[in-house]
Amino acid sequence: MKRKIAKLAALTLCCSLLLSACGGTKSGANPSSGASADGRASISWLNILQTPSPPTDTVLSKIEEATNTDIKFSWIPDASKEERLNTSLASGSLADIVTLTILDNSSVRNALKAGVFWDVAPYLDEYPNLAAISQDMRRSASIEGKLYGVPLQKQVARNGVIVRKDWLDKLGLPVPNTTDELMQVAKAFTEQDPDGNGVKDTTGFMDRSDLVFGAFKTLSSYFGTPSVWSVSEDGQVTPEFESEGYLKTMDYMKELYDNGYINQDFAVTAKTDQQQNFAQGKAGIYVGALFDSKNLLNLAKGIQDDMELVMINGITSTGNESDRAIWSTSNGVGGLLAFPKSEVKDEEELKRVLKFVNDLMSEEVYTLMTYGLEDVHYTIDENKAVTIKDTSLWQQEVQPFAGSRPKESGFEIHDSDPLRKEANRLIEENESFAVLNPLYSLESPTNSEQGSELQKMITDATYKYILGKTDLNGFQQAVQNWRKAGGDKIIAEYEAAYKAVYGK
Amino acid sequence: MLRHFKSLSRNKLLYLMILPGFVYFVIFKYFPMGGLIISFQDYQPYLGIQGSPWVGFKHFVRLFTEPTFAMLLRNTLILFALELAIFFPIPIILALMLNEVRHKMFRNSIQTMVYIPHFMSWVIIVSITYVFLNVDGGVVNEIIAAFGGSKISFLTSTEWLRPMYILQIIWKEAGWSTIIYLAAITVVDPQLYEAAEMDGASRLRKIWHVTLPAIRPVIITLLILKIGNTLELGFEHMYLLLNSLNREIGEIFDTYIFTAGLKNGQLSFSTTVGLFKGVVGLILVILANRLAKKFGEDGVY
Repeated sequence: MKRKIAKLAALTLCCSLLLSACGGTKSGANPSSGASADGRASISWLNILQTPSPPTDTVLSKIEEATNTDIKFSWIPDASKEERLNTSLASGSLADIVTLTILDNSSVRNALKAGVFWDVAPYLDEYPNLAAISQDMRRSASIEGKLYGVPLQKQVARNGVIVRKDWLDKLGLPVPNTTDELMQVAKAFTEQDPDGNGVKDTTGFMDRSDLVFGAFKTLSSYFGTPSVWSVSEDGQVTPEFESEGYLKTMDYMKELYDNGYINQDFAVTAKTDQQQNFAQGKAGIYVGALFDSKNLLNLAKGIQDDMELVMINGITSTGNESDRAIWSTSNGVGGLLAFPKSEVKDEEELKRVLKFVNDLMSEEVYTLMTYGLEDVHYTIDENKAVTIKDTSLWQQEVQPFAGSRPKESGFEIHDSDPLRKEANRLIEENESFAVLNPLYSLESPTNSEQGSELQKMITDATYKYILGKTDLNGFQQAVQNWRKAGGDKIIAEYEAAYKAVYGK
Repeated sequence: MLRHFKSLSRNKLLYLMILPGFVYFVIFKYFPMGGLIISFQDYQPYLGIQGSPWVGFKHFVRLFTEPTFAMLLRNTLILFALELAIFFPIPIILALMLNEVRHKMFRNSIQTMVYIPHFMSWVIIVSITYVFLNVDGGVVNEIIAAFGGSKISFLTSTEWLRPMYILQIIWKEAGWSTIIYLAAITVVDPQLYEAAEMDGASRLRKIWHVTLPAIRPVIITLLILKIGNTLELGFEHMYLLLNSLNREIGEIFDTYIFTAGLKNGQLSFSTTVGLFKGVVGLILVILANRLAKKFGEDGVY
């Protein structure tokens, strides 16, 4: 009898331990925001790091001074942001401010919808810089009508084509304006020895294994492909890969691949390798963000000193000005600065944190986060044009902050570097013919749950088609599989959501 | 009761030595098992186990009906079979060969050399492979091209993934895995060899009739343990090799759990996949153990 009781007791103990070990919401271990002795609010910030290493304190202390806060950063490397954010959400180890750049990730979306973060919509208008965020931007960044954070305002469409101008000149070619001309340039760069070393060791394109931020999606815009989804007038939703433009782009890429006009292993090339290889003069066409041109030129210093680049944002497949288009997946929303209720306990704290974000959007802090300290990192002339003094110092101490700016354009201060200036001009121009994702702010539960797994089917099939491992039938089979495995459900859910919001 | 207590107090030192291992298993293996409950829920961390909605077998239904399941199972089983058939015997053969090397210095230096790859991480090994096998400028392809052959896209083809995977495992682990066999060989009674020699056995005969039977229990034990890890192929290794072009034969349970669970945050679903994996492993171990006993071996328990 005694033994039985002992056994029972042990079992109960084990069970209760088990439950307590794996369940329950964990209360935050982080010190929450509060005023320190000198009146400064202390704010912790879980942020994405887009550079190899976190910044030093030089610029940080100036930002703290300007915003009257003590900032405590936890950096998440960009490459592992999905895993790290998911584990942070799962374990409740968040901070006062959490930078969420992947709003289409299912657990992030679920967390947002479950009310883990504050709905900031009612508060924005109390702060001048936050009030200036356009209604369009707010709508795009909200989920089911609620805005769970301050939207990061990015440029709407920043991609384009960058070509080696010195190679074009050498071969007597004009700057390409149509996809056919671009193909001719790629052919010439591959076959006519543009670097003049007598060896056939160059290719036209230098691409990476990324169908979105690499060459594919930008080229697909030139063929008139919608961005991610298209909605017809009667409310029918179609995925981009069922459009004619998508197929044309696959054929174009296939032609590049078959003829050797693109690096043959682009399907396994990383971004850093892509840029390094381009800087080493292995290829002459780069498709990506237009401001990458400056990085490429920096990388090429001492290796390819003759390198001259020309940026193009107006390529079409038809040659008609009216067909100009460039994709925008997230419609200019770079993500959210979200404030978890577990850390930001009450309205008063929320207001303090919002004030901090508001201050981050002032020209003074923008300048700090973009260019650094005057006379240390940059010099400025009477026209407010900035020249970076020491690029490597800037990269180390300032660049990590540049990715965290809540707002990127609309300030008077600007770069004096001609290439950067031109890139900014072209990116601004892009805005007028950007193709937006019409469903970006709508909800499809199936897409949140299975969307990224399903997308793999299409991505894989696209690569296989380009590399000649499957044909059009095979690709269309993959699309059918996608539809059967959940795609049809996603489309139906989006159509219903679209109808609910925009009505009929 | 009393008898148990007596034996406990008599061997208390022995039991004390078990204690750390016991505590380890309770904390790190048995406690987390409670978390398997979430495969019957739509688990959301901020709601906790008590707060998350129960969904019954929804995730199991999804797992078994999704076309991915057949692919995952096939890929995992094929890779496992290859590993068992090709990799498993190699350390045994290598150990037998090493054992025959009489020159001590020579033997030690070979041993050191074959052990070293074990200490390299998969990231390094896969990166080295990439550098060698790249189409644009990879050493192997440059050599093939120099001899007039056409370049092979090792990294993006479905045909080369499995050979590459197995060869990498052999390169990394074959040497290290000999240790346990070498240890087993050292306890073979030298008199057996002498007797065999008296009967006129050659070197190969001695290996076949003396050494191999002597280490058979060790081989069986390791085989059963290996089978227990059937569906556990080494996430990191495969994850690094995966890309859009070889996914159809490269995606295995481990990589799928990572992408579905951690990257896309479907905690409940990936727990279901993990649970399935564990159950299959358990069944296989029991079967293998039974089989071993049937053939007159000891088994692991």
